[in-house]
Amino acid sequence: MSGVSPKDLAEIYRTTYRALVRFLYRKVWDAERAEDLAQEAFARAVIHKPDNARGWLFIVAANMARDDARRAARERRHLTLLTAEPQESTSPADEALEVESDRARVRAALDDLSPRDREVLLLWDSGLSYEEIAAQTGLARGAIGTTLSRARRRLVRAYEAGKSGEHVARG
Amino acid sequence: MSHVDDGTLHAYLDGELSPAEAQGIDAHLAQCPACRGRLEEERALITRAGELLALAAPPDRELPPFRAGDVKPPAGLWWRVRLPLAWAATVVLALGIGTYLGSGSAYTERSAPALAPLNAPVATPENQSGDLAAADTAARRMPQQSRVAARVAKRAVAPAPAARHEAVAGITRDRALSPANPAPVPVPAPQVGLGIIDGARRAEEGSTFSLDSARVLLGADPLVVPGAPIRAIRRAHEIGYSAVVIVEQALDSNTVIAVVSGRRSPVALGEVVVTGAAAMAARPDSASAAERERVDRARVADSLGAAPAAKASARLMRDETRNRPPRRVGNLEIRISGPLPADSLQQLLQLVQPVKP
Repeated sequence: MSGVSPKDLAEIYRTTYRALVRFLYRKVWDAERAEDLAQEAFARAVIHKPDNARGWLFIVAANMARDDARRAARERRHLTLLTAEPQESTSPADEALEVESDRARVRAALDDLSPRDREVLLLWDSGLSYEEIAAQTGLARGAIGTTLSRARRRLVRAYEAGKSGEHVARG
Repeated sequence: MSHVDDGTLHAYLDGELSPAEAQGIDAHLAQCPACRGRLEEERALITRAGELLALAAPPDRELPPFRAGDVKPPAGLWWRVRLPLAWAATVVLALGIGTYLGSGSAYTERSAPALAPLNAPVATPENQSGDLAAADTAARRMPQQSRVAARVAKRAVAPAPAARHEAVAGITRDRALSPANPAPVPVPAPQVGLGIIDGARRAEEGSTFSLDSARVLLGADPLVVPGAPIRAIRRAHEIGYSAVVIVEQALDSNTVIAVVSGRRSPVALGEVVVTGAAAMAARPDSASAAERERVDRARVADSLGAAPAAKASARLMRDETRNRPPRRVGNLEIRISGPLPADSLQQLLQLVQPVKP
């Protein structure tokens, strides 16, 4: 096999780029950065011409996101002070803020999952099949359904718990 | 047949069972009310989990074009080189003009006002009282930049490039005098240069920038004060931001405010501080990252109870609106400027909402 052709890769780009960005976004939580990393993954695919380009892209993307998170943790350590400052609380009705807090709750709920459950859930949500997820994670194909059922249940529970916890805190 | 386990139910609902397996499940479900009940529960769970994940999705943007074999460097790299380039361009231009003026041209008088803002920065009071680190960085960069500049400046003595510098100087002057009515630009090439020189927030020419383009640029709806008619939407450049959109809105017949929505660039703040500080030394009137850094520091100092330090930093700001932290909505930072008292602007800032289609 000689690897993916540029034409095939262009088609994979068309069908997979968005999914890859979505996958990356839930790891780096920065839309701009997610797009940059997705672009870089495809740039590497152009050079490496992997056989199973789709799966390869998600593996590369996961690795890049992990490296990125490590670097970001190092570089942004001093920024915690800035980002932890109280959000302006004078406009609780603001829709955009509402969306933002929903996002934060989902993010917190995802953080509650085990790394393996989270990975399987995110890969499924990015459109990968059980077969592809199994190849990606090293799990048996037959274990994917069980992992997904557990991951979904925990996600929903953690989200609801976070939400009711906030209501209690607010009084 | 025994009951169906959760994993199999999910695989069934996800359409990931083989036809034979799926038929087996169908047969069992047909005769097992308990499993049918669970099937519906799991279906609801899958739907709910999907909804939650959708809440944490990135903003939908247009698919960027794919160019196999024409791979651009990752954006991160571009951001790392962009600010030093902007700085170098400023020095090159200043020296170019200086060389040209030194040759005793008839354009001397005309170009002089343009030269002043380019050369003056280092001596302004703000920079003297400003960040030592910035000055230090600028000083260390100087020899390297000067070599580049000197090379280019030598070339600028030749007739053709000199003519180009003259054109740039003329435009810069015109813009400096009347930024709201940019003069027509005769030569396309210098205009590109100007975009970098005037890297501070500045609306581009041909101000009719559609709302859709603004959305694409920001990756989100630009923010506006609800109810006020939109006069114009402009695009602007500001260091530290990957996208800046200015929406001008009329509050009444002679009061126009500008709502500025900026998306921070993905570059790490550490990089912005270093290179942005150098740019700052070159251009005091740019709303550079270094300036914002001071605001941020002031805020941190404030939160730590170091009020005097915060005040000292705040005095460094010239522009009243800059004294106040921008409002953050989603990924955007919002500011409002206009001919109103600062507290009125601050109140307006609390009213902004994403623009409705």
